[in-house]
Amino acid sequence: MAALDDTKVKEGVDQETVDAVREMAGTYKHGWETDIEMDYAPKGLTEDIVRLISEKNEEPEWMTEWRLQAYARWLQKEEPDWAMLDYPEVDFQNQYYYARPKSMATKPKSLDEVDPKLLETYAKLGIPLKEQMILAGVEGAEAAPAEGRKVAVDAVFDSVSVGTTFQKELKEAGVIFCSISEAIQNHPELVRKYLGSVVPVSDNFYATLNSAVFSDGSFVYVPPGVRCPMELSTYFRINAENTGQFERTLIIADKGSYVSYLEGCTAPQRDESQLHAAVVEIIVEEDAEVKYSTVQNWYPGNEEGKGGIYNFVTKRADCRGDRAKVMWTQVETGSAVTWKYPSCILRGDDSQGEFYSIAITNNWQQADTGTKMIHLGKNTRSRIVSKGISAGQAQNTYRGLVSMHPKAKNSRNYTQCDSLLIGGKCGAHTVPYIEVKNNSSRVEHEATTSKVDDDQLFYCRQRGMDEEEAVALVVNGFCKDVLQALPMEFAMEAQQLVAISLEGSVG
Amino acid sequence: MLEIKNLHVDLEDEEKTILKGVDLSVEAGKVHAIMGPNGSGKSTLSYVLAGRDGYEVTEGSATLDGVDILDMEPEERAAAGLFLAFQYPVEIPGVGNMTFMRTAVNAQRKAKGLDEMSATDFLKMVREKAATLKMDNEMLKRPVNVGFSGGEKKRNEILQMAVLEPKMCILDETDSGLDVDAMKLVAEGVNALRNEGRGFLVITHYQRLLDHIKPDVVHIMSEGRIVKTGGPELALQVEREGYEDIKAEVA
Amino acid sequence: MALPQAKLDATEARLAVAARPSGAAWADAARDGALARLRAQGLPHRRDEYWKFTNPDTLVQPEAPEAATFDETDAPIFDAVERLKIVFVDGVFDAGASDDLALEGVTIERLSEAAQSDIHWAKELYGVLEERGQDPVARPLAALNTALADDGVLIHVTGKASKPINLIYHHQSPRSDAMLHHVVKLDPGAEVTLLENGPAAARFNAVMEVEVADGAAFHHVRAQGRDHERRTATHLFARLGEESTFKTFTLTANGVLTRNECVVEMKGDDAAAHIAGACVGDGDFHHDDTVFVTHDAVNCESRQVFKKVLRNGARGVFQGKILVKPDAQKTDGYQISQSLLLDGDSEFDAKPELEIYADDVACSHGSTSGAIDEEGLFYLRARGVPKDIATDLLTLAFLAEAVDEIENEDLRAELVNLLEGWLGRRRG
Repeated sequence: MAALDDTKVKEGVDQETVDAVREMAGTYKHGWETDIEMDYAPKGLTEDIVRLISEKNEEPEWMTEWRLQAYARWLQKEEPDWAMLDYPEVDFQNQYYYARPKSMATKPKSLDEVDPKLLETYAKLGIPLKEQMILAGVEGAEAAPAEGRKVAVDAVFDSVSVGTTFQKELKEAGVIFCSISEAIQNHPELVRKYLGSVVPVSDNFYATLNSAVFSDGSFVYVPPGVRCPMELSTYFRINAENTGQFERTLIIADKGSYVSYLEGCTAPQRDESQLHAAVVEIIVEEDAEVKYSTVQNWYPGNEEGKGGIYNFVTKRADCRGDRAKVMWTQVETGSAVTWKYPSCILRGDDSQGEFYSIAITNNWQQADTGTKMIHLGKNTRSRIVSKGISAGQAQNTYRGLVSMHPKAKNSRNYTQCDSLLIGGKCGAHTVPYIEVKNNSSRVEHEATTSKVDDDQLFYCRQRGMDEEEAVALVVNGFCKDVLQALPMEFAMEAQQLVAISLEGSVG
Repeated sequence: MLEIKNLHVDLEDEEKTILKGVDLSVEAGKVHAIMGPNGSGKSTLSYVLAGRDGYEVTEGSATLDGVDILDMEPEERAAAGLFLAFQYPVEIPGVGNMTFMRTAVNAQRKAKGLDEMSATDFLKMVREKAATLKMDNEMLKRPVNVGFSGGEKKRNEILQMAVLEPKMCILDETDSGLDVDAMKLVAEGVNALRNEGRGFLVITHYQRLLDHIKPDVVHIMSEGRIVKTGGPELALQVEREGYEDIKAEVA
Repeated sequence: MALPQAKLDATEARLAVAARPSGAAWADAARDGALARLRAQGLPHRRDEYWKFTNPDTLVQPEAPEAATFDETDAPIFDAVERLKIVFVDGVFDAGASDDLALEGVTIERLSEAAQSDIHWAKELYGVLEERGQDPVARPLAALNTALADDGVLIHVTGKASKPINLIYHHQSPRSDAMLHHVVKLDPGAEVTLLENGPAAARFNAVMEVEVADGAAFHHVRAQGRDHERRTATHLFARLGEESTFKTFTLTANGVLTRNECVVEMKGDDAAAHIAGACVGDGDFHHDDTVFVTHDAVNCESRQVFKKVLRNGARGVFQGKILVKPDAQKTDGYQISQSLLLDGDSEFDAKPELEIYADDVACSHGSTSGAIDEEGLFYLRARGVPKDIATDLLTLAFLAEAVDEIENEDLRAELVNLLEGWLGRRRG
């Protein structure tokens, strides 16, 4: 086992980088990095590193074993190559698998004691001051008055959850919202029961990797009959260089409960690509409902295709009980490479799954994303609305599966899958799989591919908008069905993101 | 205000000349009408003035208040005060009518160095103007022109004209596809906008619209040229005799 | 990448029971080229992505599985049509039953004879379109055919053919393993209609390569008969020139396993390709339509229309792809695949794909699967139509969109007749 003495501390990030990034912030708003002292585990992945991560998180033996098992499985697995993605081979040994802000070691008494760089980060993320205090772990911060609408936030900075807000109020409602590392310690019975039950350890290459090395993430448990009193939100941020981020999210909505969960992601601009492999598992019991919304804005790389996040994510919801309902909404504008298929297993009778997606790729970005709707129970319903927009030299693929099993009598699926091309050098692809094994179910799939309509652009410009503004407006219109599915504040952010993501795509 | 001199225009994709030397001058405060048979180049003239792709100006000029507009981008022409009411208004799914108009107004204000209009001021302004055109809130909320009837689309064009307050308005076959009541409503909307500072160019195939929007000058266009110019009585002559006789008369 | 051992073994086992026919240098070269392709690809395996929904084992195994011949006779098809008949029995040309291979505007030769000529136009096409069709997806059964087929017809259309050419297949031996390779070359402005009908053998591997030159038109109507136990794998490769037309329609009923692949490459501007199929499957039936259309020219139109009616555990598969290359602007691509599942045991799998690299395009696809329209059924029954007849009426209506793709009214009427007969007979 690796002694802590072996832990190499990375040299300080130079100010030049920080300044350069700030100057460029016009192009990629979240492209700053924060110069914070970090603890790193040595580069590369070995059994010792897996043990180290487990030890750092003060995990019980069963958890360490679980990780080691995953690691053993991962060694036998091959990286999948079926997606329409083309990127240089990832060197899994040239990554840091653990990084942690040093200031998290002891709890500060007031904001003055908090590493100011950390606070700066929160401010840039648009997190209100009170939440900043809580996230920074300031004692008594919960008692301070809150501004505006309540959204409980869990921030994951590189690999570590740095704090969760509104703990007290959530606790009163019986909702558990904490980092997964805390959950492993404080709610082991729940974690042991559900972890890996939706996405098994050996599900796929990246999920298996995540199972071995995940260092933190969010945990949500909503008890029976409880409607979560506020929206829950996690901000994920990759800050440190060469650091892979592997967060693990586990959401359990017990019978008759409801929760809406928002996820936002950003990362600084860097020339080198960085790895992100997350797993999200959602368990939806009888009559429960979960809404999971993502605005993914990891750094997409620059105009020449240099840098950017490799985003390999496994997200799956299991509607275990009758009338369970899950809704995935995603706005994917970032990352150099996206490999992501948030899925629904519709096991309970009358359960429902919905997937709303906007995927925008510009410059050299590549996205292969979609969903799986697995209909197992009777009278199950699913709906897929996917809007892919491709500009520059980007490639954008919708890949999906709709499967009606023999027992899924009287089930329905409707899929609408539209692609928009901006410029003649990009690609838009649609790869749906449809498998129907009973005749009382109905599956409908429609897809279209077209370019931004010249007449629409001219009409807008005749009314005085410039070309970029006109494109942004038309594209936002094209995405309307999905934007409407987002919670209000996310929808506003997403609309602006659509415009920003397409900058430079015309003219 | 709008000065067109010896304008020659080809289609970009085919070797075809559509406009063969158009001369036209519209003064502020006046309403000029262009009439002509199908294929005479009326709609091409409106598109060329608005800056649509696909046309090549081979000769001649067009200026608005003395400024050459032919080298401008479409949005620059719009900001300079040129407005085209489309013969076939385009549908833009997913984009609310209000959002669309507000984006347009603010884009033009920005081009003029003005601040954005506040949402409440804008809403108030649009609602007032919409009411005179008998457009309800529902129509303002719907996506631009999507699911609008022919009449509703044309009313929406006039509403945008009222909201954007251009100097020079070109109406391309605004009467096409309208029944008498709808045409009256649209004409009233246009008439309400007539003032000393504003010029109008009304393109139409039939005389009937000109019963409602009284022109000061009427031009007859044929085969890419203005072949005859006169007063309102010229429109009535067309109505009586048809284009062929007038063409024969000037030939 | 090295092939898995299982694939290598299966491929060599298959080749061990067949000999490459010998002919003139060009034919030998084409066949050896195909052998090399095949060995590099290996025969299909059920774990191959392209065979995800169809198990190729019985198409691949060395010996053809036994298949009872079909003694029930269908109403003769295309009899009312003035045509030139070319008959194959268990994959062997039957001169006695065939017409003279002479037709105005057309020359027709047998592959077995032409392959012996040192100089032949088929050199430019035989195995050439098949090889072009191997990228980006391998089609090893077609390469196998190019390597081993020793008969088929070579049709050179120089003008407007005065009547349709009808390839008629008979299945007489329960263990026949037939392989035919046809080549059709249409000169600029030429036109021909090619008809195919009948079950060919216990196992049938057919390849047809069609070159449609500028301004030429190729019409193809195929009726794959009701022979229940047969297994069939066909490949239709076409390359289209400027302003050319390519239309193919296939009607399939039964057959324990059918895989029809159609690979179209649009190389000339302003061309049109329509690929359609209707199938009626009952019981132990598996039907797979796999289509790949590549747009590599400006302003081309392609349509794929496939309809399947399935009952008693029948399984239908559709894999269709539209690939639009970067400069293929103004492409109009359309694809629809629909299945009607008449009962709960039947199954439909679809993978309708779009891969698009040009921006000025309008491409769309749709796919639906579901049971018969209960309201329509009730409406008909309320008017006194018995349930089974009402079901047939709705079934025919469902298939109509595909059948309507046949341009020639007489041919369309023949197929509708046949279809009505099949549905009627099923009722007994």
